Amino acid sequence: MELGIALDLSEPGVSTGTWDELARLAEERGLALVVLTASDGRESVPEGGGAAASGEPSGEGAAAEQPATAGLDPWTAATWLAGRTSSIGIGVPLPDLRAESSHDAVTPYPMVVAKAGESFDLLAPGRLLTDAAAWVHAPRGASAEELSVLAGQGRPVVVPVDSEQEVRRLADLVSGAPRVVRPQRSLAVRARRRPGIDYESVPESLAGLAVEPGDPGYRGVASNYLRAGSPGLVLRPGTPDEVADALGYARRHTHLPLGIRSAGHGVSGRSTNKGGLVVDLRRMNGIEVLDPARRLVRIGPGATWKQVSAALHPHGWAIGSGDYGGVGVGGLATAGGIGLLGRAHGLTIDHLRGVELVLADGSQVRASADEHPELFWAFRGAGANFGVGTAFEFEADRIGQVGHAELTFVTTDIEKSLADYGRIASEAPRDTTVFLVTGRPRQGQWTVQLFGVVDNPDPEVIVERLTPFAQIGLLAQQQVVVTPYMGVMGSAADVGPEGHQGFGQPVSRSAFLPRLTPEFARDAADLLRSGRVYFFELRAMGGAIADVPSGEMAFPHRASAFQVTAMGANDGSINQVWDPLRHHFDGLYLSFETDPRPERLHDAFPPAVLERLREIKRHYDPNNLFRDNFNIDPHPDARTAPSGAVKS
Amino acid sequence: MSDYGHDLLFGSFITPSASGAQQAVELAVTSDRSGLDLVTFQDHPYQASFLDTSTLLAYVAARTENVHISANVTSLPLRPPAVLARAAASLDILSGGRFELGIGAGAFWEGIAAMGGRSLTAAQGVEALREAITVIRDLWDTDTRGGVRHHGQYYQVNGAKRGPRPAHDIAVWVGAYKPRMLALTGSVGDGWLPSMEYLPRGVESLPEMNARIDEAAEGAGRSPSDVRRLMNFMNVQFSPASGGLLNGPAEAWAEQIAALALEHGLSAFIIGGDDRATIERFGAEVAPAARDMVARERGR
Ligand SMILES: Cc1cc2nc3c(=O)[nH]c(=O)nc-3n(C[C@H](O)[C@H](O)[C@H](O)COP(=O)(O)OP(=O)(O)OC[C@H]3O[C@@H](n4cnc5c(N)ncnc54)[C@H](O)[C@@H]3O)c2cc1C
Repeated sequence: MELGIALDLSEPGVSTGTWDELARLAEERGLALVVLTASDGRESVPEGGGAAASGEPSGEGAAAEQPATAGLDPWTAATWLAGRTSSIGIGVPLPDLRAESSHDAVTPYPMVVAKAGESFDLLAPGRLLTDAAAWVHAPRGASAEELSVLAGQGRPVVVPVDSEQEVRRLADLVSGAPRVVRPQRSLAVRARRRPGIDYESVPESLAGLAVEPGDPGYRGVASNYLRAGSPGLVLRPGTPDEVADALGYARRHTHLPLGIRSAGHGVSGRSTNKGGLVVDLRRMNGIEVLDPARRLVRIGPGATWKQVSAALHPHGWAIGSGDYGGVGVGGLATAGGIGLLGRAHGLTIDHLRGVELVLADGSQVRASADEHPELFWAFRGAGANFGVGTAFEFEADRIGQVGHAELTFVTTDIEKSLADYGRIASEAPRDTTVFLVTGRPRQGQWTVQLFGVVDNPDPEVIVERLTPFAQIGLLAQQQVVVTPYMGVMGSAADVGPEGHQGFGQPVSRSAFLPRLTPEFARDAADLLRSGRVYFFELRAMGGAIADVPSGEMAFPHRASAFQVTAMGANDGSINQVWDPLRHHFDGLYLSFETDPRPERLHDAFPPAVLERLREIKRHYDPNNLFRDNFNIDPHPDARTAPSGAVKS
Repeated sequence: MSDYGHDLLFGSFITPSASGAQQAVELAVTSDRSGLDLVTFQDHPYQASFLDTSTLLAYVAARTENVHISANVTSLPLRPPAVLARAAASLDILSGGRFELGIGAGAFWEGIAAMGGRSLTAAQGVEALREAITVIRDLWDTDTRGGVRHHGQYYQVNGAKRGPRPAHDIAVWVGAYKPRMLALTGSVGDGWLPSMEYLPRGVESLPEMNARIDEAAEGAGRSPSDVRRLMNFMNVQFSPASGGLLNGPAEAWAEQIAALALEHGLSAFIIGGDDRATIERFGAEVAPAARDMVARERGR
């Protein structure tokens, strides 16, 4: 039984102080909902009868004796209450504005009312109920029996209250933990529901914040950074228990795509989809220091590397991440993390000491060197296949000021530029990690950007390390700063409640390059001359990345000097120019690969690694719940073809 | 030279960005904690990237303790006066007398029309505002018996119930630049709330604009000091060297503010910029220093 309280805004006896306290007490005691009513009707009925009555449900029927003045404005009161409380549902029927606004002084404009609703949702997400059909009114002082009869309708029951005692009585009637009320969608929203999703059975713990197409916050959770999406339901757990609830729900919907989303920068993983489920972990973004002496930190999957770098900065620590601070912990720390500190400090997964995760069957485990070691091995490189990481324990490095460089060159001889870069970047001391980005030529000329980090605070050393790179083209722009790592990650844009606005479907190819040979430079130059690749990146590896034995985790490609990424317009077009390059490569980095051909799985994981992964998969996810990112099918022989990389 | 003798108020002008909803709330909380007197938000309902200002004001009022809250300024054409009056009074009650009503005749008529509002000419806008202020004050007036009736050119009210009664005398501050609006401000407003950047000749415009308000106030049988002179400053910055109005070290800010108070009668200083550190310094360093200087001068 879900109970709530109804506060009468026209009640002359209840002072606003008490009124506030009643709502807070209700929240504290685990009641589901505060409904604001105005039994006097919000406006007096206009003489001419022209303007719409406010549409408030008057639970107790017309008040016998109308107060001489109007009570509090329900919308203002509801918003105020949202600010005074933190989680309880707030019910306030929006005025019924079907009537054309008549420029009188008492009727609000429908579009302004709608905007007010959206704003409420941005300020206090998921807490507003505006449809009076979402709850049932009980009479003042209703007995336990009466209440349970009303609760039989399956909606929360609200009781008018005017004392703390009464709130306590109601709270005692609801046993168990505080619950979030299931927002009742209007008919219009329900009409946009997708087939195959049992919306009514969304677990109680997730219902309050779940987002459906048509909900006010939907646009903000539909798309990713690079990919447009239109999922049928987005679940937003905030605790491992809630993640387990979400996976339980997903197990009942295996006919639909399932995306696991941390910060939404996925290129390969389908952390959004069409018509399917998304488990969005953005709320789980805590960052805490566990052990200062060992520099152990515990980070939620939804944190971004920008946030992580800022949180670690005061301690003088950092964890090498990618090259962009907007990328999430969950996606990077399950796949690799080839970043600007790579040669000096290794991959992101090299710093992982333990991970808490929720498995496909909903159980919660911790994996580390001595707890579920096989799972821990698999998670670092192929994590997306094995569970949902809910907390990542890293050992941070002590990292002070670094040199951060962004150099822009122009060149007409891209082949030479690539070859020069390849030689210089791989010969550089390991404190230096420099990436190269270029794209289509313009009028026979390429713009080449180098950006990198020198892990040394001394400006002279920084300049010395960068000087050899100056010969790769005609230097057009340079920016070199000495900054903490936070400054390197800090330029990423923050994502607000409007979320990501990605559109289209990225087409990306990725590979490991053992050495950047003259032949590769020549072939890559051809690729760029074709004009079919608008983004081309070389990430320098080696150094500390290569120190880790290749069998140590499910990221076997340790010996490569570079990781190559190319993005193009569509599969057909990019394959024509990319496939001829394959003989240069040894495997692929799954985070940047979107090729749907099944054989790509074998590029991501060499045979022995893949076999070991399948074994572990059979143990931890035998029914293949986790399949949105380079799926390792536990029973490949049972199907006709090996299930490879994801399909769009 | 006119000092109307009001206490000095210091406030912030925060962008009600929808994309940084919590950030807007945080800046308001910072303003409150920094000891500012006022937190204000612009009101442009047709601006998709902004929150609904009325909703934001109520939420911010709930999250703050001492600061007064106002729109800067309410777009009247999309805020029916009776609705506005009740929301204002309700928030004033809920917040313990911390709401003030900044209001303007409206701008960006295309946007207003797009949201379902009607387009008015400048002159009509002024008259509509005059009517609206009457309606609003009538709704707040619960001492008079009977419903509110208003059969105006722009608004109809047919016996609406009065109330609720605000917790304190809510000030009506009018955003005005043109002569007709200045005259309206003088005759019925409790305050004048423009932005320095929009004054035709900056500070130099002040004597003439003040005089228009004074004249209208006297014409309506009021005193010029019934109308507080507030001012927004959108481009402000603390910097080591003085580089113009509210652009320099904190002491320079305080001196400029004291001069504006003593020479031009300004008594509320509201800064934009959405910068946390600037807000904190404004409250901690500028406000007390400026208050001191003005008190010392006035005490002479
Ligand atoms: C602008 C940009 C820059 C990048 N730079 C780099 C770089 O320098 N180095 C690098 O290595 N990569 C880089 N990447 C790739 C990036 O690491 C991956 O795309 C990564 O998956 C993004 O993580 P996310 O949490 O933001 O993404 P999401 O889209 O949230 O997740 C992507 C996928 O990761 C898996 N996943 C996410 N969270 C979890 C979890 N908690 N548990 C289990 N699986 C999970 C899922 O399969 C999901 O589909 C970059 C991507 C972009 C868009």
